[in-house]
Amino acid sequence: MKKTLFVLLLTVLFATFALAETVITVAAGAVGQELELAKDAAAKYMDMHPGVTVNVLETPDLATDRLGLYLQFFEAESPEVDVYMIDTIWPGDLAAHLVDLYQFDGVKELVDTMFPAMVENDTVDGKLVAIPWFTDAGLLYYRKDLLEKYGLEVPKTWDDLENAAKIIMDGEKKDNPDFWGFVWQGDAYEGLTCDALEWIVSNGGGTIISTDKEITIANEKAAEIIDKAAGWVGTISPNGVVGMPEEGARAVWQAGNAVFMRNWPYAYSLSNAEDSAVAGKFGVSPLPAGDSGRGAAALGGWQLAVSKYSENPEIAVDVALYLAGYESQKNRAIVGSLNPTIEALYQDPEVLEATPIFGELYDVFVNAVPRPSTVSAPNYNEVSTAFFQAVHSVLTGVETDTMAALEELALDLEDITGFEIIW
Amino acid sequence: MKKRVPRSNLEKREQRLALKLLLPAFVVLALVAIYPLGDVLFTSFTDREFAGGEEVKTNFIGFENYANLLGITIVELPPVLDENENQVINEKTGEPEFERAVKVLPRDPHRYKELFQYNWFGKRYVVGARDPVFLKSVGNTLIFSLFSVFIETILGIFIALVVNSNFKGRGALRTTMLVPWAVITVVSARIWEYMLNPGTSGFFNMVLFRLGISDGQISFLTDPSWQMPSMIMVDVWKTTPFMALLILAGLQLIPKDLYEAAQVDGASGIKRFFRITLPLLKPTIAVALVFRTLDALRVFDVFQVLLGKKMYSMASYNYTQLINYRQMGYSSAVGIIIFIFIAIFAVIYIRMMGVDSK
Amino acid sequence: MNKRSKKVISKTVFYIIIVVIFVYMLFPFYWALNSSFKSENQLMQTPATFIPRDTDGNVSFYFENYKAIFRNNTFVISILNSTLVAGLTTIIALLIGSFAAFALGKLRFKGKKITLYLILAMTMFPQVTVLSGLYAMITTLGLSARPSMIITYLIFTLPFTTWVLTSFFKELPVEIMQSAQVDGATPFQTFYMILLPLTAPALVTTGLLSFIAAWNEYLFALTFTSVEPAARTIPVAIALFSGQIARQEPFGEIMAAAITVTIPVVVLVLIFQRKIVAGLTAGAVKG
Repeated sequence: MKKTLFVLLLTVLFATFALAETVITVAAGAVGQELELAKDAAAKYMDMHPGVTVNVLETPDLATDRLGLYLQFFEAESPEVDVYMIDTIWPGDLAAHLVDLYQFDGVKELVDTMFPAMVENDTVDGKLVAIPWFTDAGLLYYRKDLLEKYGLEVPKTWDDLENAAKIIMDGEKKDNPDFWGFVWQGDAYEGLTCDALEWIVSNGGGTIISTDKEITIANEKAAEIIDKAAGWVGTISPNGVVGMPEEGARAVWQAGNAVFMRNWPYAYSLSNAEDSAVAGKFGVSPLPAGDSGRGAAALGGWQLAVSKYSENPEIAVDVALYLAGYESQKNRAIVGSLNPTIEALYQDPEVLEATPIFGELYDVFVNAVPRPSTVSAPNYNEVSTAFFQAVHSVLTGVETDTMAALEELALDLEDITGFEIIW
Repeated sequence: MKKRVPRSNLEKREQRLALKLLLPAFVVLALVAIYPLGDVLFTSFTDREFAGGEEVKTNFIGFENYANLLGITIVELPPVLDENENQVINEKTGEPEFERAVKVLPRDPHRYKELFQYNWFGKRYVVGARDPVFLKSVGNTLIFSLFSVFIETILGIFIALVVNSNFKGRGALRTTMLVPWAVITVVSARIWEYMLNPGTSGFFNMVLFRLGISDGQISFLTDPSWQMPSMIMVDVWKTTPFMALLILAGLQLIPKDLYEAAQVDGASGIKRFFRITLPLLKPTIAVALVFRTLDALRVFDVFQVLLGKKMYSMASYNYTQLINYRQMGYSSAVGIIIFIFIAIFAVIYIRMMGVDSK
Repeated sequence: MNKRSKKVISKTVFYIIIVVIFVYMLFPFYWALNSSFKSENQLMQTPATFIPRDTDGNVSFYFENYKAIFRNNTFVISILNSTLVAGLTTIIALLIGSFAAFALGKLRFKGKKITLYLILAMTMFPQVTVLSGLYAMITTLGLSARPSMIITYLIFTLPFTTWVLTSFFKELPVEIMQSAQVDGATPFQTFYMILLPLTAPALVTTGLLSFIAAWNEYLFALTFTSVEPAARTIPVAIALFSGQIARQEPFGEIMAAAITVTIPVVVLVLIFQRKIVAGLTAGAVKG
């Protein structure tokens, strides 16, 4: 009895004590190192601000599950989570639930040091709804050893890549029947939208929907490069590529069964792991170019946003500013190889020493192409689904007339967004 | 001590008791079901956006969601003609060519998209739907449910009979037969995803490749002719134990002396099964069928994990509409349609098996 | 002679069919077990191997996946949570369900059919449709995660226990009840002293099946435990597994977790499986 009373008293005491403190909850990823780094940064923030407790909450790594969870919170106008880590393609969709960060001190100064394309991606109707936190872009991975063996250069155009892949495949297939030329993300999902967007932009075919709200996808340049990609399936790429997400492509590549791979920077350190078959034998470069003469990389990555329903928005913004600030991003770049969004960090000697690849990545990030998510909000998901399904049907041969497929896609996009089609 | 209770009195007492016994179930029903289900029904008549924020207004739109989900139309496809007014024959396929469906299907006030085409008296017709993806998901789910539930029932009865018969190691089999059901659904889908991998790191491609049947590059989850068989295979694996265990329990209710009597009469094993076992198992099978069909019609996890947006079941389409497209009103209408489907199946089974009589 | 060889053949065929079925039932589980002892690079190997091997073809088991899932106690806590939630859900569903089933199966009253259908209707909606309504309700009531899960899991466990048990009660001979009533037992006494023990196989079966259904539930659990990490159940904990780097899938760890959490359920089945077939032989069935 006495004991119960004591416990009760303690709980009450603790409860009142906890109330006096401001609690800020940050919904972050579940990923090992990334999560640890976020928790470290939160701990540092708490050291500096004794009155504030920062909770870092793990959310599922599967983007759809995470989005579903966030939407439940927003639907219930829940104040439980103050700061959300959101995907590059969500700012437009979630803008209605996020505060305009420009209204808070110090935000403008920070985002002015970041890549303009990323900041623009997070700006909805002149309001800054999220701060870019770490970024991602498509890269070409190539086997240095094999290119050397066959006396070939790193491909600068898709044609070069096709040729190189064919030559090396013909040579290697004798010893290794599982060997392929090029693996990429051909499954019908968001990853294909990224890959196909890169092809089309590199060929001068536009970005599906332009920033002026015009549907530009129905053009010859786009059809041409999609046809080219469809020609890879079963020749330089395995038939199974149309069922491969990022991890599927990495599996082929890391087992030493491909010359080229299109993937995100995450595969770099994993491919260099101790028991990887390609460790030390590969390099990365910007993706090849098509008719535009320049390669394009789809922009990915994560941002920090503050919920409208937060009970302490000012402190929440302050936490977000700290997490996305120079020092914190520098630490994340050095310890976790997470790609910073602050341009100056790509010249920081300490960062470059820890991760030399960042020097090469700078050019890729500065030219990275965002998916048309902010412009088509809140319908981006439908736009993207219609797009990758149309492309997938060409890749798998279900649809044989690519131009007609793109024209039909344009009609679908018109239905979804209400934007005008540029024929 | 022995007190005779008048019959009518007893009946009244039973009625009162029944009410008391059912009360907890009704409380649960009221607590967890009425509000969410009522909410779904109401929302299905609106254009509500999921997590739309305060600026998005919700309007009452009557049956429009249902009309958009189910609306279809049929149009004749004109042939493609050359200069001489002869129909063009496709060089590759050797088939006569017709206009693309998108050119003839109505666009105002509602756009109709191609669902499928068919030939009728030498003419080609196209069936257009306002939401062909949903109607396809209905078709997929029905095919999936029919095949998987049918196979599960047969296998389930067989396994239950085997496990119930007297042979060495049946205790171990009784336990192992439940393993697939015990593996967490989300994870078991991942196991199969890995086994179905395109490329020889996947089990099936490895086996087919080793046997020399294929090049080991079959993309089971992308190739339309493999998708449905794969789904059925996964589901049969996962849920046959459910059937088997329920039927095994049902077998225990059959009095042993019935069999003994039949044995004396000289009835063969197969005869005994059809004359005694099956009729007495009917109520158990009916209930098992109701719950399996109900689960199959709502199938979500395997479709979501293995097929994503490549092929939908009704429930995974419902999920996509709600979470990805945030069409809460529309997805609620999908939910109601699924509800109606399940209700129809439930009533048919129950009527057919005569479970609700007596 | 002819008859005998016929018998041998049919017996062989019988055993072959049994073996085929049980290989089909167990093989994917074996493949998960096999995969759980492979490192990431072994998982990527082509062609896949039936036992973990290194690139030179030597057998090589990799234990890091199992070490990784027990690296911190969150996984163990999730097993406890799942046991608690699934266990309580099952007990409540069996209790309420058997009451209702007795009324529906053996008592005379009006509106039986409609009651049966009403209870079934609870579970006819896809989960995701009712999720936001339930979530709104739970936040209004201020329930914490564990009770929320237990209560909402009744949506799919209660109709199941009620229906199955009802069909079993119906099958029991009426004479048992009548003779008990003649002996002066009230209907309720008849129920828990005579009928309930007789339906033990059904109780155990439905109990096991509902336990596993609750044990496997993911969507509700993910939402309800989102701000209460201490209450996470196994499927949620596994969904939160991730690699060291974003996009990397720790497939080996997921398989190790799948194997680990299947073991408690198998033990549970081992304990109860005798009851499934032992129920009726123990008591006198015929009235």
